[in-house]
Amino acid sequence: MTLFTAIVGMVLIAATMTARAESLQMGVSVDVVPVGSDFDGTDIVVFGSIEGADDVSLKLGQYQVVVTVLGAEEDTIVRQKERIFGIWINRKSRRYTDIPSFYSTISRLPLEKIAEKATLRENGIGAQNLSMNLASQGTITSILPAPQFVEALRRIRHEEGLYSDNPTNLKQLSPTLFRAGVYLPPNVPIGRHQVVAHLFKNGELLTQSKSSFRIQKVGFERWMYDFAHQNGLLYGIMAVFIAIATGWTANALFRKR
Amino acid sequence: MPVSIYLPIAEMSVNIFILFGMGAAVGFLSGMFGVGGGFLMTPLLIFYNIPPAVAVATEANQIVASSFSGALAHLRKGTVDVKLGIMLLCGGLVGATFGVYIFSFLRSAGQLDLIISVLYVVFLGSIGTLMTIESLNAIKKSRAGNAPPARKPGQHNWIHGLPFKMRFRKSKIYLSAIPVVTLGVLVGLLAAIMGVGGGFIMVPAMIYLLRVPTNVVIGTSLFQIIFVTAYTTIIQSTTNQTVDIVLAVILMVGGVIGAQFGAAAGHKLKGEQLRALLGLLVLAICLRLAYDLVITPDDLFTTISSFGEGGE
Repeated sequence: MTLFTAIVGMVLIAATMTARAESLQMGVSVDVVPVGSDFDGTDIVVFGSIEGADDVSLKLGQYQVVVTVLGAEEDTIVRQKERIFGIWINRKSRRYTDIPSFYSTISRLPLEKIAEKATLRENGIGAQNLSMNLASQGTITSILPAPQFVEALRRIRHEEGLYSDNPTNLKQLSPTLFRAGVYLPPNVPIGRHQVVAHLFKNGELLTQSKSSFRIQKVGFERWMYDFAHQNGLLYGIMAVFIAIATGWTANALFRKR
Repeated sequence: MPVSIYLPIAEMSVNIFILFGMGAAVGFLSGMFGVGGGFLMTPLLIFYNIPPAVAVATEANQIVASSFSGALAHLRKGTVDVKLGIMLLCGGLVGATFGVYIFSFLRSAGQLDLIISVLYVVFLGSIGTLMTIESLNAIKKSRAGNAPPARKPGQHNWIHGLPFKMRFRKSKIYLSAIPVVTLGVLVGLLAAIMGVGGGFIMVPAMIYLLRVPTNVVIGTSLFQIIFVTAYTTIIQSTTNQTVDIVLAVILMVGGVIGAQFGAAAGHKLKGEQLRALLGLLVLAICLRLAYDLVITPDDLFTTISSFGEGGE
């Protein structure tokens, strides 16, 4: 009886697999990345498989997976310095909404070999293709679009190692299994990071699969940071007491000599 | 012992020995010259890429330690005019409150770093120049064999014509409260915006403008600096969350140790030579800051997004 059920079950699963379109299964190697005093960057792994793939396309290598990692989105101000009376002063600025604090793509080939620029741009895949939206509030001059600010934002984030495209870090372990190595730099922002795997076939985006992990400060650093931000008054009083104690100790030691 | 340590508020990894060394070096100089050291330490921290907002607020915290240690010694010797100190403090608290408010405003307007640098260039430039000229003249005079002229007692200026006069017994002066409180406000403003104790303004102003006897000037100045910087530390923590206790402790420990050796070294040098050296040092820091303001930066653009909290 149980054998019969099992056989029926397997037949049913096989039937649905052939009937359904392709899908992605994905997992992240960690739920939480701890950031302690000695944190100097780390690697995590995103792995998964292409389900319901058509054998011919697999053999022809028409499937491509692109994994993106997206940090918490924040409003971001970009300022430009100008020389006034010989001194460099922040003058013009633009405020952008929902700018990811971290962005990384991991693929087996350069993105432009996987899909058309228009497709990538439409789906915000690739550090150059992220959309940067100006905040709607502000004075008339501050909401005029200005491409140099967007370029500067992308460039600075790239230089800081926060935005990157990694066209070699995705390995195809078997025709359907993939493994993406994600490097998180020492300055990776704290918070929840979203992981999305995109499945392309012949340059067309078929499906996506989402997951996430969290980067959080741990131990003393976390305690201090939370304390300072949640109870600034008490934190300040503690800072003063530490200073008084240090000053008193120094004075006591000095007097004995 | 790890070489690099993560500063939880500045959110950066730093070399603990470099910071400790900076604390010790500034402590040595402040012990040698009898100055607070805030006006040397804050620019150094900025040169070391500590965000200026964190440097200023944390330095106020460090000065609490150094001024408390110094004031204790003066209290024991009886060279503190507590009444005068409290009057200065009244002004100081008002000034510090406004200062932190201005600090927050400049920070959100993106002009804080600029204003801090400009203020340093102006103050360090004028004080360094005055100090160097004055001490060089004194050295010339002592070489010529003339003793420097002592201040005539009973000499008065316009400040002594102001109303609301009060008697300060310890200092043996009868003086209007207005210039005292005004001086306190000014120094409180500087403490909050520049991360200094303000001794380098307070001491000359008390000697030359208020005509306070020199023996109580430093003790009284230190006495009120403790409270103004303690108050600034608490307000900065509450308003801007920019006090980094880890950074402050490293600097405090380095500072108090350095100060012991500095004080011993200071006894071996003549007053005028000390002042000339300090004047030149102050000018050097001023020039370095001015250079950074004028030279074309590597990148004209900067980004900031810390107002949306990334943490969960």
